[in-house]
Amino acid sequence: MRFSWNLFACWLGLLPVIVQAQQPQNIDIPAHVRHAFARYCADCHGKENSEADIDLEKLSTLETNEQLELLNRVQDQLFFKTMPPADTRQLSEADRGPLVNWLRSELRKHKASKLDEKLRYPAYGNYVDHELLFGGSVKAAAFTPARRWLVSPQIFTERVLDVFQLQGRERDNFRLQGFAGVTNPFVLPDQSGVRYYDHGTLDGGTLLVMLGNAQWIADKQLRAARVKHGELAADQFDNVRDRWYPKTTPEALEAIVLKKEPPTVAELTAAIQSQFACVLQRAASDDEVQKYLALTRDAIQLGGNTAGLRQMLVTVLLESEFLYRLEFGAGKPDEHGRVPLAPREASFAIAYALGDRGPDATLLQAASAGRLTTREDYRREIDRLLADQNYFRAPVDPGLNGNHIRSHSVAHPKLVRFFREFFGYTGALKVFKDSPRSGGFYQNADRGHTGTPGWLIQEADELVIWCLDQDQKVFENLLTTDKFFVYHNLDTNAGVDLIAEWREVYEKLRGTPWKTEPERVMADHQPMLVKAKIMDGRTKELWREKRSFLSYMYYFQDTFGRGTTPFTRGPFTHGYSYTHSQSYNLPPLPTRHRYIGVENDNYKEPRDKPIYWDYPVEQPFTIANRKGLLTHPAWLVAHSSNFHTDPIRRGRWIREKLLAGHVPDVPITVDAQVPEDPHKTLRARVAAVTQKAECWKCHQHMNPLGLPFESFDDFGRFRTMESREHADNIIRKGNGKDVADVYETSPIDSSGVLSGTGDSRLDGDVQDAFELIDRLAESARVRQSIIRHVFRFFMGRNEMLSDSHTLIDADRAYVSSGGSFRAVVVSLLTSDSFIYRKPSQDQP
Amino acid sequence: MTTTRRQFNTQALLGAALTGTGALSLLPQHLLAASAPARPPMRFIFLHRGNGLFPHVLVPPTFSKELKDKEQQKAAYEVDLEQHELPTWLAPLSAHKENLTLLQGLSGKMCTTGHHSWCSSLGVFKANERVSSIRWATVDFELAKLFPSPLEHIELACFPLDGGNPRGSLNGIAQGFSARGPQQPNYAFGSPKVALQELFKSVSTSADERIRYQLERKVLDFVSRNEESRLGSVNGAEQAKIKRYSEAVDAIQERNRQVDLMTDVLRQHTPQLAEKYLKDEMTTLDRQAGHVEVLLAALISGLTNVVAFTIDELGHHYTGIPGLESEKVNMHDVGHGKTIGGVAAEEIRARCEQYHMTLVDRIVTRLKGVREGNGTMFDNTMILYFPDSGETHHSHGVEFPFVVLTGRNSPLDIARRYIRLPGYGLPGHKTLGNWYTTILNATGNPTPHYGDLDAGLAKFNINQKGPIESFLRS
Repeated sequence: MRFSWNLFACWLGLLPVIVQAQQPQNIDIPAHVRHAFARYCADCHGKENSEADIDLEKLSTLETNEQLELLNRVQDQLFFKTMPPADTRQLSEADRGPLVNWLRSELRKHKASKLDEKLRYPAYGNYVDHELLFGGSVKAAAFTPARRWLVSPQIFTERVLDVFQLQGRERDNFRLQGFAGVTNPFVLPDQSGVRYYDHGTLDGGTLLVMLGNAQWIADKQLRAARVKHGELAADQFDNVRDRWYPKTTPEALEAIVLKKEPPTVAELTAAIQSQFACVLQRAASDDEVQKYLALTRDAIQLGGNTAGLRQMLVTVLLESEFLYRLEFGAGKPDEHGRVPLAPREASFAIAYALGDRGPDATLLQAASAGRLTTREDYRREIDRLLADQNYFRAPVDPGLNGNHIRSHSVAHPKLVRFFREFFGYTGALKVFKDSPRSGGFYQNADRGHTGTPGWLIQEADELVIWCLDQDQKVFENLLTTDKFFVYHNLDTNAGVDLIAEWREVYEKLRGTPWKTEPERVMADHQPMLVKAKIMDGRTKELWREKRSFLSYMYYFQDTFGRGTTPFTRGPFTHGYSYTHSQSYNLPPLPTRHRYIGVENDNYKEPRDKPIYWDYPVEQPFTIANRKGLLTHPAWLVAHSSNFHTDPIRRGRWIREKLLAGHVPDVPITVDAQVPEDPHKTLRARVAAVTQKAECWKCHQHMNPLGLPFESFDDFGRFRTMESREHADNIIRKGNGKDVADVYETSPIDSSGVLSGTGDSRLDGDVQDAFELIDRLAESARVRQSIIRHVFRFFMGRNEMLSDSHTLIDADRAYVSSGGSFRAVVVSLLTSDSFIYRKPSQDQP
Repeated sequence: MTTTRRQFNTQALLGAALTGTGALSLLPQHLLAASAPARPPMRFIFLHRGNGLFPHVLVPPTFSKELKDKEQQKAAYEVDLEQHELPTWLAPLSAHKENLTLLQGLSGKMCTTGHHSWCSSLGVFKANERVSSIRWATVDFELAKLFPSPLEHIELACFPLDGGNPRGSLNGIAQGFSARGPQQPNYAFGSPKVALQELFKSVSTSADERIRYQLERKVLDFVSRNEESRLGSVNGAEQAKIKRYSEAVDAIQERNRQVDLMTDVLRQHTPQLAEKYLKDEMTTLDRQAGHVEVLLAALISGLTNVVAFTIDELGHHYTGIPGLESEKVNMHDVGHGKTIGGVAAEEIRARCEQYHMTLVDRIVTRLKGVREGNGTMFDNTMILYFPDSGETHHSHGVEFPFVVLTGRNSPLDIARRYIRLPGYGLPGHKTLGNWYTTILNATGNPTPHYGDLDAGLAKFNINQKGPIESFLRS
């Protein structure tokens, strides 16, 4: 039989291996395995020459644990096709199949297969064969392993808000600012790509954080009742900066705090049920009530009503269920051994797929009334929630908020979040730059603000939101649009109105003696100036408004006066922080310094007449030399280093995210450093260190895809010449602040090669990033690769071959709907992969 | 972010387990010693303060002109301290010259600098008031993982009450300046009294405290039994998930049991603080002295091997400064060179710093008096005194001067020396990241580099990664 790697991947994902725990015993190495090792491996890993300290001839003499360790390494090498080396004799199919099968079954028998574990992680998602997934030949029924899925940081926040049953503005406020005594125990990894997977577990760190959280929450839950009871004065706080508390304590809890005698069983039961409802959003079972009764009575006996009750509250908050999403399914297994999600589980699964909050009342009602069992039931509720503009409405990313930025509030932030994670442009915040290198315009995130990367991410978010609102050809548009949002502080209508108002002011006043007699001009035109918010109408003394008036008038003179449109916010306004237009190669705007002192009689009007950016009020607008998110400065900065561009990382992103390909991890023996050489461009230096045969083996999959983006520097600016930043090449020193050093330059070579689309029309040499992007956007494989990542985002796991039909359906939904992302989401959330569960022992 | 006393109590007393450490590794070393004689753990005391520390004040007055010129040029050199007199403010350490290192020339421009730095100087990244800015565990927590103890780590602070980084109260428990991990701020005790109550509550004589202690134990017992009862109903990966949580609860319970076993030791070392240290109102200098007593008791009793102590912060209102006893000194004004009560700003700084050195002397002397193995506890101790934001009040992070004291068993070869490393941008220049990497590498953490890199150093073609090799014993 011809052994297929695809089948191997399939088996890893599908075959049940239920093995009882066994005592470790030395593993017998069968003859066919010994022969295969001798024939293909012994030259390098035998007695004579045990490279990397691996001697496979000794395998049978090792202790069991050492054997398993070595067999795991062999399995990895064979699976990832890194051994035998390309220039040596390759395993015949007749030898490979039995060897791989034996390794897999032996390691699984000992519950020691590290590959099984690895394949559950995001970095290994693409090892499931793409052609098989989308080829239509796989007939297995789709399911998701029954699971506990740790809540995300956002869901955790919502669950705490639920404990206090906060609604409306109070809920919105605490969602943004958090609670003083609650630390979110969950952190998603920093990486481009889907970050929220189901393989996380609670550990000691989570428990510690939760112990603190639970005690703070319980104290707050009881505080109102304790004040009422006279245990605490209303103004008595341990910490004066932490004075918030819910104004009422749940009735069943209050009853016990206020009671002098020990509570009755009925009162205790009501309190336990109250806490279960607040925290776990379900009723406690009889068994649970009995256990908690015993605990609470005991604690009350020891510490009194309040202290004992508090311990019960803390203990429910420490239930692992508070931090997990439970998806086990219920009912009679079908012919494939699958069970559908229980209606209540389904209501939470749907709600958490579309947002961060638990189910709304309608969804809960559907679940309890038996109207959440069929695929059509799912579709009805998903369509309804996608049409709901309010329930999930929240800022896309409160972490972006600062002194100047307020993250966009949208109806379904979760949908935007997929693209943020997939493209990974939010990583720009983690890359610190040397600001003087940029000429001073690039501001790193600092106290109270997220700096230039914050603005860039905010503007990339707006682009994603815009594409999602159109919901047509979403993937293609995100990859190829030449339209962008920059400094879009007002929506188009408001911006047009404001500019019209300003223009009217300037046109009317330009002929007046506004420079020499500003107060008279202000007095003559006060209503118009107040209406345009250039003057404060409440001010009685006109001289107080002189600075504002003159600042605007000089600003208008610099813009309208030279035939351009001003940005809809003056640089002299309080908190102005716009400096990043250069990231898009747009001309600068006037700075605040230009207008300092305008109100003084000795103000000297600048004589220079720079060309400022002609601000486009209607956005998005076309920017030259940009095409889609891969040329957005946020993505370019996120995929750059602190010091220079990073063509390898950019190439790897395209290989893995858009082409469903994979690149092996950097071998630990490699010290991946780009050598310094003042005479060479980064491209040439990267080539010098990656074109050796042993390096090129991996770099061929990355460099040709990433190098076309050398047309953009590490601040995201388009360029045709590369500044060779080396001390030997300096032409003119800057001032270390807002004038950059000037170095010798070399022309940019932006050529590259596209490979791996599986489409001969598209694969081949490309002239630059724009050509590369156009071809990528035409590729079916790219579309399907994005759909694979959408699947991972909504399912919280890597796809298995049994998910083939789910993926094919999602792909068809996208194509047949003209590129609707919502159609993809609905297709995935009504798929068998989403609806059905199977016991988890079947899974690696 | 602030929290309640109880909340912090849990986090501090129930300690680390952030990495899911097994129960055995959580035991204090001296409790393990009965079964297998073990090398004593290293102890680390991080003493950091606000408002910057001027590099020039570390220069011994007896330096020759040649050395002073080198100092001006920020050129690298080393001098045996035995041959030199210490500056006046460092004089309290004269008896410990053989343990002393004055380390100059480290930069930290990858940190937030200026008025406030949050946990930048311990974490070597740009931190700010947002929890999301915390990128990884600060170096003190990394060291605490290497030398496990029941509490893993304790943090004490003289909190700031104003400025850009205020806490709600001087005496409470609030967010500190260390971090347990990404986005996980640590909490610090603001007063010696609260620290004493929480750290030594297992031997508390207060009935209320003892009841609270017992109730907290009951919660964990319940959670442990509850999770274990679920293990039988699931298999495979799901079983592993429950098991891990259950094991985490067990590990913490085991550590609690060990703390309970330490009752005699804890009773013996519970500091008997004078009444003035137990009040809510006390001078800054008394607060600092009280914290030092708690710090010493926690180390000597074996509750922890790592202490971080914010001796002051820019927003702290200083009281009790010698000669200015009646003044509440605003350290921001001192930073701006303002004369207060007739005393020049630099002199105010010197008086505070000199007092800090008397505290360091107290720590060293006391630890030298505790027998351990064939020597004393100080042999296995390292103390680092440094500014949290660099060289001055409005710092840029060009220099982070360090006063370091190391015992005989230190894995670093730096003692009895004034060391100036090459200045910023000069060949061989070193950063805070290199310094912490050195300490971590020398004590068993093989990280290639700890901390962020300085984007501004790139143009000097300096290899920013790795330890300072010359400090490592060959």
